Order: sequence, then structure tokens, then C-alpha cells
Amino acid sequence: MKKLCLLLGLLLIGQAVFGLQAGEKKWRVGFSQCNLGEPWRANMYEDLKREVAKYANEIELIHKDAQNDTSVQQAQIREFINDFEAGNLDILLVSPKEAAPFTPIIGEAFQAGLPVFVIDREILSDQYTTFIGGDNTVIGLAAGKWTAEKFNGKGALGVELQGLSTVTAAQERGSGFHEGIKGSDIKIIFQVDMKWLEPDARQEMESALSRFPKIDFVYAHNDPGAHGAYLAAQAVGREKEIAFLGVDALPHEGVSYVKQGILSATFLYPSGMDLAIEHVMKLKRGEKVPKRIMLATKAYDKEHPDGVTIGEPVVTW
Amino acid sequence: MAEILVKLTGVGMTFSGVSVLRGVDFDLRAGEVHVLAGENGAGKSTLIKIISGVYTGFEGTLEIFGKNQSFSSPIEANHAGISVIHQEMSLIPGMDVVDNIFLGREIRRFPWRFSRNQEVARTRELLARLNLADLDLHQPVEEFPMTIRQRIEIAKALAYQARIFIMDEPTSAIPESEVELLFNIIRDLKSQGFGIIYITHKMEEIYRIADRITVLRNGDMVDTASASELPERELVKKMVGRELSSRFPPRRQTIRKDVRLEVKNFSIANPDIDGMFLVDNVSFDVHAGEILGLAGLQGSGNSELLNGLFGAFGSRARGQMLVDGVNYLGPNPSKSIRRGVSLLTNDRKASGIVPEASVRGNISLASLRRFSSYYWINHRREDEAAQRQEKSLSIRLHSLAQPIITLSGGNQQKTLLGRWLETAPKVLLLDEPTRGVDVGAKFEIYDLMNRLTADGMAILLITSELPELLAMADRIIVLHRGLITAEMRHDEATQEKIVHAAMGA
Amino acid sequence: MNPTVPLGNTPSRPEKATEVSGLTSLFAKPWVRAFMALIVILLIGMIFNANGTFFRWSAHRDMLRQTSVFGILATAMTLVVITGGIDLGVGSIVAAVAVIYSTFLMALPVPFSAASTILFCLAVGAVFGVWNGFLIGKFKFQAFIATLAMMTFARGFAKYISGGRKVMNAIFFPDGTFKYNPVFPEITDWLNSRILGNNIAIVTIIMLCCMFIGWVVLSRLVWGRYIYSIGGNEEAARLSGVPILATKMLTYGLSGFFCAVAGICQAAQEYQGDPEAGTGYELTAIGMVVIGGTSLAGGRGSIGLTLIGVLTMGYLVKILSLNAVAESTRLMVTGAIIVIAVLFQSSRRK
Repeated sequence: MKKLCLLLGLLLIGQAVFGLQAGEKKWRVGFSQCNLGEPWRANMYEDLKREVAKYANEIELIHKDAQNDTSVQQAQIREFINDFEAGNLDILLVSPKEAAPFTPIIGEAFQAGLPVFVIDREILSDQYTTFIGGDNTVIGLAAGKWTAEKFNGKGALGVELQGLSTVTAAQERGSGFHEGIKGSDIKIIFQVDMKWLEPDARQEMESALSRFPKIDFVYAHNDPGAHGAYLAAQAVGREKEIAFLGVDALPHEGVSYVKQGILSATFLYPSGMDLAIEHVMKLKRGEKVPKRIMLATKAYDKEHPDGVTIGEPVVTW
Repeated sequence: MAEILVKLTGVGMTFSGVSVLRGVDFDLRAGEVHVLAGENGAGKSTLIKIISGVYTGFEGTLEIFGKNQSFSSPIEANHAGISVIHQEMSLIPGMDVVDNIFLGREIRRFPWRFSRNQEVARTRELLARLNLADLDLHQPVEEFPMTIRQRIEIAKALAYQARIFIMDEPTSAIPESEVELLFNIIRDLKSQGFGIIYITHKMEEIYRIADRITVLRNGDMVDTASASELPERELVKKMVGRELSSRFPPRRQTIRKDVRLEVKNFSIANPDIDGMFLVDNVSFDVHAGEILGLAGLQGSGNSELLNGLFGAFGSRARGQMLVDGVNYLGPNPSKSIRRGVSLLTNDRKASGIVPEASVRGNISLASLRRFSSYYWINHRREDEAAQRQEKSLSIRLHSLAQPIITLSGGNQQKTLLGRWLETAPKVLLLDEPTRGVDVGAKFEIYDLMNRLTADGMAILLITSELPELLAMADRIIVLHRGLITAEMRHDEATQEKIVHAAMGA
Repeated sequence: MNPTVPLGNTPSRPEKATEVSGLTSLFAKPWVRAFMALIVILLIGMIFNANGTFFRWSAHRDMLRQTSVFGILATAMTLVVITGGIDLGVGSIVAAVAVIYSTFLMALPVPFSAASTILFCLAVGAVFGVWNGFLIGKFKFQAFIATLAMMTFARGFAKYISGGRKVMNAIFFPDGTFKYNPVFPEITDWLNSRILGNNIAIVTIIMLCCMFIGWVVLSRLVWGRYIYSIGGNEEAARLSGVPILATKMLTYGLSGFFCAVAGICQAAQEYQGDPEAGTGYELTAIGMVVIGGTSLAGGRGSIGLTLIGVLTMGYLVKILSLNAVAESTRLMVTGAIIVIAVLFQSSRRK
């Protein structure tokens, strides 16, 4: 029985290898994902699959999920390097779990001649082909400007539900926002951590609602947080008088909440998969690609339920 | 006159306004065994806890080697040369012999490095004095039998340079055959000028080992006398405060014609060794109203026999067991209880009491289903049952709601008897019912056995105190390595015969 | 000769040092000690009252709502802890049930009815729990290990059912597209509402019901007595005819059942089933049980004590939230309060 399985397995592998060689020169694109468990990254994977499908005749995707384990992801990148050396891989996309542990191995892949796109999180050297990522400060700034435009001159009071004040992403989303409302008469009266969690956001918002009779808007560092705040306000019948702002704009979360009228606005933290695959194709055609692409955000609100791009991607060569 | 090692003058102790010890004068001389006698709750434990530094803030004075001392912790007492050999051993089961002996005071070559070789040598030396010259020092102590562990503990005390030993019922956990060995060691220590304070509930032991006896009763010191001047009868009288004409009530003739319990070809497989049996093809019967005594040394299988009959060994027990002529072998305790078989285990703490539960809850535990309908407990009926047992067994307590652990050993035991009597058993299996129980309560338990058999109950009795067996059992069977080696009627049994049969002769 | 001396008539002697003066004995009662911790927290709340917010009913109402899911889990945990065990799986079962509940009601092309969904959810929780009890009772697994396995398995199960993303009113199709289901199930709205003049959340009532059931089991039913006796001395209980395996399966099964109730409440309050829900809740629940004074060693404790523990933790969280205290400070304060509350408890015994 065991032998039979082995035989079948070998046959299948053989089929795959030879079947591939029979076709045109398809590029094999490796993707090393640090953790597919988060909704944003799950969505990133959906985006990736959709973009790859556009060029189904020219590229092929090999996706590996490290399940939030540094050593697993290191090992997976090592496997990709071996694949490349065996001629079974043409380009590698990496979304590393952390910066420091992946700087050497990504450098090694790059030195070996494998084109490497680093996605979302930067590493500590320039030993890669291209970096593509979003900018939390830009997103916070967009949210702040949106709020200022809407509320300036009315003496609006707001609540800020921070992701986690000790985390860079939350600090940037916060500082960008405060930059955006600078010069207006908008005030943040209650600023507190909600650990990116919906139940916690609801609890913190309940406290804010008990304390302050007038709240005009809530800026939450992610969409679930904004949704939790909405539920708290709804429970005391104050959801109509408050504008809820979220960040991330996943299609089935933030964007859906905006379409349902729960959130007033949400701001996209882009996955960048469209640009990533676009540049993979450029590379395949032998064109030059930039070193860094800082992605622009998109705002989704009542006027723009399908989103409107704010600014341009910042490209560095 | 020998050197005075310990001297207490006018010592008293009060807990939360309740005086538990008053005006005790006590001294221990070098080279003597000084027995502390008294019922449970008489203040013996309090007294040794004062000497060993567990209790602070007592009245009176404590002198060690003629120096006034007030220890603030047991460690200080330890450093002063006092060592307690505990009822519950204080060795660490998974550590080897050497590490246990030198735990906390390793022989150090440098402050950060201890010298194993020196420790091993020293351990050998100490153990040789205790007839343990060829013990494997590198085995974890848990692999040794209780007797050896006890001697390791004594070695540990010797390593501490202790000169005062306090032994609290040291023979309760070791087999009869090893007691003499322990006593030899004690005599040896005595001759080397050590002083030993000894607590026991076994009358025989007192006269085998004691030089002097101090009697405590209800926290008062009654008397100190040399053992030769205080005959057993006097001693008992002093302990209980009145004369007991005998330590045992006379066994009345209550045996009836009908057979209550019949055991045929009963065996229990040894779980550790295939093909061996803890109890090997045993057959006997017990009549209604009869007390059948089971004698045997540790490992004879008599305790396993009772547990097996009760169903505690599950399917490892084989054979036939008929209660009132109905074939029945309990596959588990719950079934056995329903069929009228109850077992009082020999280890109150490990398998008897539920310590934090109330006295009431402990009494009703085995018969809860009788006080409940559709799983709802009828608290009134439960309380009535508990009160009934409290009265008939004269359990001394403040309230039925108090946790059983706050009762003295004798009253805990009576509570457990109450638990089993509440199940209305036809056959009562008693495994060491008087272990760790004071003289007064012992008498009450014997009396109770008389009453129960008069009502037609059959009792199987195991006790390691031979006089107790001789006094209470109508018939005695002796086991040796799982086999019955002798059976004798009450009037033909003697200690010698029993010991002879128990040794397998 | 008079052999049967009535020894029972000897003057009764003090049984150790149990007899103590009135005030001391009052403070020796575990629930009084538990209350002391709660009162300290309430005093802190009155001092740091966030501009008087602490004196408004809404703060207390919201605290009760917020802490209800934890209270239900703490009830489950109390039963298990009294047997001398522990249930690390509670948080994961919450997630599994929340995901199942949301999937059945919202994410299927033809949703299930509310009644059958809830029944199914409760059954899943109970089965998970009974399985724990089976491993622990039959194969003598340590409760820590068996429930650690359940903690891992149930989390995986939640992710498997949900595909790793939150189950909400968006129905996904295999190609990655989705459509919205504009109406939320009535049952969810109901669970998330309040009664008694809009003053008490339904979930709080549910928590109190769970506690009542727990109390009945522990102090009115034979099973409760079995639970205490197993925690107090398992061997003694076995030899007294207590059905150990059945009692453990019942206890862990009941724990799983309560976790399912908590999972339903969690999903209803979030209007979605989050496979990451309940992460770390097991530790909060254990904390509440211990602060109440139920001993992790087993054999002691009660639902009443746990209620006090739940309120203590609930108020602590609420006060920190009202004052917008930073997360880092919250963690430190919570750790300190646990130590202080348990210190209150432990001075009970010498």
C-alpha cells in the first residue's frame, strides 16, 4: 500500500514537471507569506490570486504560509532559493514577519541572482530588488484631512481608539491623523488602546459614551474597532450623531460597513498586489523596476462607496 | 545523672483564646527514650511543635543544652540540634539518597561547588551505623520501602549533628517485622548519648522502648515516671482520666448460624508482575454476627484482599463472592456499596476523608443517592442521617458543618465509620480501624464492633496490633504472600502462633 | 466489672484552634475576604470616578455587559477547578461556537433557524467538553494537557469552519467574491439588547442564569457533592462509590456547554463570528475564579465566590477604561490587583 502511494506520488510529480516543460516558458513566482491567519493578509492572498489569474498563461504562483513562525519562514525562503538554483523558480515575493531575522537570508537570495520583492515590511538592508508597502502615516493623514474637511469650524470632539500605543503601525496612524487635523478646532477628548480587537473597542467606547455627552466622531485604527464603537453607540441610541472612521478597508469589513452606512469612512491599507504583479511582468519582459514603491491610500465614504485614490504612489528608483 | 538535653518549665500554649497546653514541665536526658503518652488532642503534638520551633509565642521557658532558647522557626531548632522524624516523611521522593541527606547543607569545597565525593563518603558512614551499609546511594528514595526511607531520614538527622530526636509514631508506616530493627537503632542511638522523644499510640511499644513516660491529658501534664514504675493499667488510667478495666471490651458471643459472606477461589493478579498474585486462590466464609480477623505482615495481601472484595481492583480480582447466598463480586465500589459491602480503608488521609468537606458531607458521601430524588439532595434527610451517626458514634465536634480536617484523628475515624454505617452494610470490611486513634476512641470503636455484630453484621478486621486482633476476632485467618497459612478460633489463637503463620511457617 | 465505659461523656476538648472570636471568624469566611477585594476596587472607582461617570448607572450596566461572557466562562471554570482540574479550552470553544453560530445564521445560502442553530452550538460545546472529561477520567490525562489539546484543536476548528476570516453578513463564493446579507438575524439583535427599562443587558441575564445553574449543580444536586469530593480527595470519593468518570464527563461537559453559551453571546454582541475570538479568555476566567477565592487545588470554592471575583475584575477593567489608562499601565495594575486579591485569600489559612 505504502509503495503504491509512493509510486502514484512520483507519477504525479513527474506529470507536473514534464507537463510544465511542455508549455511555453512560464515564470514561476514564489510567495513567502509570514501569516495567513490575519484577515488583512488573507485578503492580500485573495488579491494576489486575482492578479496572478490575469496573467495565467505567463506566470504561475507557489505560495507558502509560515504561520507566524520566524524559523518556518526562514526555512521556506531557503527552499525557494534551492528551487531557484535548481531552475524551478524565477522570482520571489516575501512578506517577512520581522526585519532583522530576514535581512541576511533575503540578501543571500538576492546575491544568488534571484529577483526579490519585499512586501509590506522592510528589511534592514538594500539587498533586494524592490520594496512595495503601504504607509500608515499617509493613511492617518488622509483620515485626519477627511475629518478636518468635514468637521472644521464646528468645534467637533472626537474619540481615538488606538490599536496598541506601543506598536509602530498604531503610532503612525495616530500621528498622521493628528497632523491631518492640525490647525482645525477639532479636539480628541478620549484616546485609548483597544488592542485592535472589536470587543475591547466596544468596551472602551462604552466608557467614552458614559463619560462624554457630546461625541462627534470616532477614529479607530482599524475597521473592527470602528465597528465595535458603532455597536456601543447603537446600544445607547447615539450612533446617528457620531461619525465612525476606520482603517484597512477590507472589502468584506470596512468597505462593506461603509456601504451599509455603519461607518462614515474607511481608509485603505493597500496590499499592493496589483503593483507587485505588474512589476513582476515588467521584470519578465526585461524592463527596469524601481527600488521602492510606497503605496497610496484610498478613501471609501458615502460619496465614494467604491473608493477614491488619495495621492499617488511614491516611487523611488 | 545524665546531661539534660531539653528542659521545659511551666510551658503553656493558647490559640485564639483557647488554652491547649498548660503548665507543662518536661525534661529529656542524654541516653534516654522519653515517651509522650496521651490521647489524641492531649497536647503531645503541640508540645513537640514548641520544642521543634514550629510554634512560637508560648508561655514558660525552653532550655536546650542548658541554654535558654526561643526559636523563631523550625530551621533554628534544627541548627540547635533538634531533629523531627516525621510521620509524613520529609524526603524528596525523586532525589537520590545523598542529595536528600545533604539537601540545604551541601558539603562545599568552594561556595559555588559542592563536593559529591565527600558527601558520598559521609553518607556511607552514616548509613553503616543504621545497618544500611550496602544501600544503592544513587537511587531515588521513592524506590525504597518505607522502613529504609525512615532510616535515611534518621541518617539525615545524624548528618545535621542532631542530638535530640523527636519521633512521632515512627512505626505506624512500617511493617511489624521491621519494628525491632528500628528499635535496635533507637537503642544504639541511646547508647551513644542521644535523647529521643517518642510518641506512639501502641501500648506494647511503650514498654518495649521507653525509659520514662510523660502523660498528658487535655493539655495538662498528669505525670512523669520511669516506665518500670508505671504499669500499663496505671498508664491507661492516667491517659483517659479514669480506670479502664481493660483496653478492650469483652467480645460477646454473637455468631449466628447463617453464612453472611462466602468467598471462593478469590485471586487478585499482581499488576506489576505477570503471573503473580497479590491474593492467591483464597476461600473462606464469615457468619452473620462474626468478626473474622485477618492477620499477616505487610505484603501478605490481606489489605489487598479487603480492597479486592470491595471491588477497588476492578477486573483484576477473580473468583466468587456470595453475600447472603447471592453470587456477587463487586466490579466497582459503587456496586459493592449497593450490595451491602463497605470498606473502611487503612489510610484515612489518602483514601478516607475529603478534608475540606464538612463532617456532614463526609458522612453522607457514600449514601448520597439515598438522600436524593432525581439527583436533588434532600438536605433535611441528609442532616438527620448525619446527626444520627454523630449521636450513635459520639463524634465530638462543634458543628456538623465544620470541615472534617479540623477534627482529631479519632473523631475523623468515627466520622468515616459513620459514612459506612449509613450505607447499612451487611458486610463491613475494616482495614486498621484504630490506626492513629487514641485509647478512648479505640475503646469506642471496639464497642461499636460488638454492637454491630450483635445486630447480625459480618465484620472482616485487619489490624497490625496483635492484642487487638486476639481480643476482638472470633476467628483469625493468617495470610502469607497471598495464601492462607493458618486458620484458628479465638480461644486457640496466640501471638506466637499468628506470627509463626504470618512468617510463612 | 463494667467494661462499656461511656467514653462519649468525657468533657469535650477544643478541636484544634477552630473556635475563634466573632470578628476574626467573620474575616475567616472566604466570601468576606473576597468582598474585601471588591470593596477596595469600588473605592478606587469612587476616587478615580472619571468626572463622576462611575456614579452613573450606565457605567455599571456596561461593565456588567462587558464582563458577562467572562462571567459565564468563569462559571464553567469554577466547576472544573473545584474538581481539581483546569479548562484551558474555554476561549477556543468560544471562538468555535461563535463561528458556527454566525455561519449557520448568516453565511449560508439558506440559513438555519435560530432554535436549531443554538441547540447545535450548545451540543458542540457540550461534546467538546465531554471529550475532555472522557480523556481525563478514562485515560487519566492531566486536565492541563487534555484541555491544552482542546484549546489548540478548537481554535483550529474555528479557523477551519470560517476559512480563517471573520464570519459576517457577507456571503463568500468560491471565487473570492461575496454579497451582503442586509438583515441580521433577530436572535442576534435580541441577544444584544437590554431589558428591564433598558437597564440590564440580556447577556448579563444569561450570565446570571448560568451562575444559577452552576449554583444548583454545586449545592443542590448530588453531582455537585461528587464534584467537591473528587477535588477534595479523589481516591476517597472513588472508594465511596462516586462515579468518577461520569462526574468528570459531566463537569467538563457542563463547562463546554457554558462555553458554548458564552460563544453565542460573543458572536451576537459582535454581529459576527471571529475565529480569533476568546484568545486569552481562559486566563481571565481563571483569574476571576482565583480572585473569588476558589482554590486551584480543588475541593473548595463556590459560584458565589466566583461572582464576586467576576465583579472585582469587571470593575477593575471598567475603571481603567473609564480613565483611559494606557494598555501598559493596565497590565501592570491588573497583575498587581491579582496578587493583592489572592493575598487577601491566602491569609485565611495558616
